[in-house]
Amino acid sequence: MSYIEIRGLKKRFGDNVVLDGIDLDIEKGEVVAVIGPSGTGKSTLLRSLNLLETPEAGTFKIGGETYQLTTKKSAEKRALRQQTEMVFQQFNLFRNRNVLENVMEGLTTVKKLPKDEAGRRALTQLEKVDMLDRLHHYPRHLSGGQQQRVAIARALAMEPKLLLMDEPTSALDPELVGEVLVTIRKAAQEGNTCLLVTHEMNFVKSVASRIVFLENGKIVAQGTPREIFDNPQNERLKQFLNKINMLESMEYVI
Amino acid sequence: MGVLFDWKLVFSQIPDILRYLPTTVELTLVATFIGYAIGLLLALVKIHRVPVLRQLAAFFISIIRGTPILVQLYITYYGIPLTLKYINLIHGTNYNINSIPPVIFAIIALGLNQSAFDSEIIRAAIQSVDNGQLEAARALGMTGGQVLRRVILPQAVTVALPSLGNSLIGLIKGTSLAFTVAVIDMTAQGRILAGRNFRYFEAYCSLAIIYWVITIALEKLFKYLEKRFSVPEEAPAAEKKVAGLIRAFRASRNAAPRDGLKLPEPEENV
Repeated sequence: MSYIEIRGLKKRFGDNVVLDGIDLDIEKGEVVAVIGPSGTGKSTLLRSLNLLETPEAGTFKIGGETYQLTTKKSAEKRALRQQTEMVFQQFNLFRNRNVLENVMEGLTTVKKLPKDEAGRRALTQLEKVDMLDRLHHYPRHLSGGQQQRVAIARALAMEPKLLLMDEPTSALDPELVGEVLVTIRKAAQEGNTCLLVTHEMNFVKSVASRIVFLENGKIVAQGTPREIFDNPQNERLKQFLNKINMLESMEYVI
Repeated sequence: MGVLFDWKLVFSQIPDILRYLPTTVELTLVATFIGYAIGLLLALVKIHRVPVLRQLAAFFISIIRGTPILVQLYITYYGIPLTLKYINLIHGTNYNINSIPPVIFAIIALGLNQSAFDSEIIRAAIQSVDNGQLEAARALGMTGGQVLRRVILPQAVTVALPSLGNSLIGLIKGTSLAFTVAVIDMTAQGRILAGRNFRYFEAYCSLAIIYWVITIALEKLFKYLEKRFSVPEEAPAAEKKVAGLIRAFRASRNAAPRDGLKLPEPEENV
């Protein structure tokens, strides 16, 4: 019995099968990175767990509760969504609210915390992402990296059992990627359970406790960073790593 | 008849006309409210593509936009009593047609007319809020109503304000047609005054001045609201509302060493 169990997750768009029966276990405090070629359903996997997509089949056990991912009841959907939080590629901060209000929004509206308590929690998280000096700035006044740090604070303030991160650095200018990766690493080190889709392979290597290689809607290989990058057994995985230039044996002759 | 154009009368009768300003304001406010409420419903029906209702909404909007407001006023004015008569005939009831104050007809006609035009403004404004924010709100666990109230509407209002302002100005001027269905508003009062002394030109000049001033005031009001609701250009300084909270938090933190981000931290290569 794992902390989180995903069973038989299936999702298709029209005739295109994106997720073809995903089974995945995640232990408490684990940081699981999902890698794979584009279009293999990495993002769809994350979005299905938060019901931003509606899967055709699948169950999701988290926090001692088992949820049907196919549920149509909005109360069940909301209960499930409160177990997880999402960090988006495009940050998706509320543009009409400043930094502090963005982080407090879920606490006051969804968790119904009193203002003071919500404010304290928000400030605690904003301190961790080092955004205390920008509390009254609106998203449009912030750089992409700062916005993403606020988005991470907003997600963590809700105390999710699983933090979903969908390519959190892909929309950032190269010089801003570092500050967000540092923030994510810190969140991981503090024991937050994370499921992360990213193309930052060096980061994955150093932060992830486990890597899942997804191709054509199936988990083709999984293991520790060392198993995946240094000693890949699977042929498809080897090809993928070759392509993204991560296989150590690769040598270029120029 | 002394002078050709009695310009003093133009100004001296303004207070007399303004006695009916409350009627004009009442017509405008209630019609606006109806317009926003039904307009929002129509917009939501269109956005969510509700079957049947969507076709009905499109049909309704098409009719309202395709006919003059004057004709719509007459249709309500004659249509509602006719409908009541019919109901009385069929069900043997005894609704009194003459007890309906004429202002009701004007309010219904103007309100429905507004709703058709406002629904398009509201729909465009709602759809201007990017989908990512809606996903973020849903991911936080908000209900559909909360997403609408907390995320969509506050941002849609900013987008819609200039167009809603225009629409409201159009409505204020549209209320001047209410005299055709026996409502005594400012325009009707102007005509009544003119009927006594045959100074029609002066009466309409007075009305023009009044409507113009009201419109200018509304334009200013909407400019102010627009500024008020939109995100400030510059990052604002600290807000007083939460100053105490932040001070308390900082004080509690001064004791413990601060554990912020250390930047830049080089990416390690394994």
